Amino acid sequence: MNLYRPDLKRFRFLRWFDFRSWRLGMIAYILNRVTAIGLVLYLYIHLAVLTMLAQGPSSWDPFIRIARAPWFLALDVLLLAGMLIHGLNGLRIALTGFGIGVRGQKPLFVALMIVAAVALIAGALKIFAG
Amino acid sequence: MSITLTLRILRSRRDVMPHYETFEVSVSDAANVLDAIEQVWAHRDRKLMFRHACHHASCGTCAVRINGREKLPCIVPVADYSGKPLTIEPLRNFDIVGDLVVDMAKFFQNQQASDFVITRPTENELVGKPIAYTGGMDPESASTIPFNRFENCVECGICLSACPTMAGDHKFFGPAGLAAIKRQLDKTTDPVERKRLLELADGEHGVWRCHSAWECTEACPQQVFPAESIMALRKEITKKHFRELFGK
Repeated sequence: MNLYRPDLKRFRFLRWFDFRSWRLGMIAYILNRVTAIGLVLYLYIHLAVLTMLAQGPSSWDPFIRIARAPWFLALDVLLLAGMLIHGLNGLRIALTGFGIGVRGQKPLFVALMIVAAVALIAGALKIFAG
Repeated sequence: MSITLTLRILRSRRDVMPHYETFEVSVSDAANVLDAIEQVWAHRDRKLMFRHACHHASCGTCAVRINGREKLPCIVPVADYSGKPLTIEPLRNFDIVGDLVVDMAKFFQNQQASDFVITRPTENELVGKPIAYTGGMDPESASTIPFNRFENCVECGICLSACPTMAGDHKFFGPAGLAAIKRQLDKTTDPVERKRLLELADGEHGVWRCHSAWECTEACPQQVFPAESIMALRKEITKKHFRELFGK
């Protein structure tokens, strides 16, 4: 898509997705937004699911059976990934915003994502182990 | 030795929808990308609109995107691309005047808002003596002439093009404008001026709009470190608000 078209001026944010210009900071920026959208969606889905509690065991028990299916557990792992990436990247942004680790923001991002990966593997093992 | 290079240039005019045109030019293997663009203008299409002046990264006027990355083509060797085709596009997040020329008016207005001046008095030598211009002059008389140097920022606009916030909020003050505020803040101890500068940076489209992608600092060809300036301004503003909160 030619994003320089004048009629697309209001949609300049689409240029975020011009991967030719992506560097580490841009990848972190996009990851933070994608995970944020995912977490907000999860929050609403979570609230919708909780309404089943009010409907009693006839509604809740079938859901619990679904929640134990491997494909559903994979979604839990995805949720954990979103939380770790968003939380730790957010921590980096908050620190640099206060002037801490400003010059080392790239190594800080890499280090925090390694922490996220390790925690994700541990969490995934725990989730699938039941 | 000369090499043949393929340039895919984004062309546009007010009444012409942006589209890519491909040109083949022959340049020296020691040439820079700007030389190749000039070859297109000189031998292929005299209507090509592009801007340049100094040819050595001092003026910042030639900034474009080469294969998706913001660059000053005057200092980028064609050899860096190993003969591969080059896609040349205007900077992002600016209105296009035509082809590779963008409208810098808003950018300069923001630079001006902080009274940023692109020259500055030189720093002293390590021994504390002011550096003096001596080129081709009697050192005795030359030593009395004050030597001014340029600020690092060449006002090329590359940081605004690389900034993802700029793509979402065209009123955002921009990395260069905020870095200019920080420079002015560093230069003054006048409390009234410091207050004015901090309020300028603290506005609705100021430092808090930045989402810390750090692309401005990565793309900047002149080590201005705009993202670091934005973070430093945030720190100053936060301190100011805390002081105000506790009545100091």
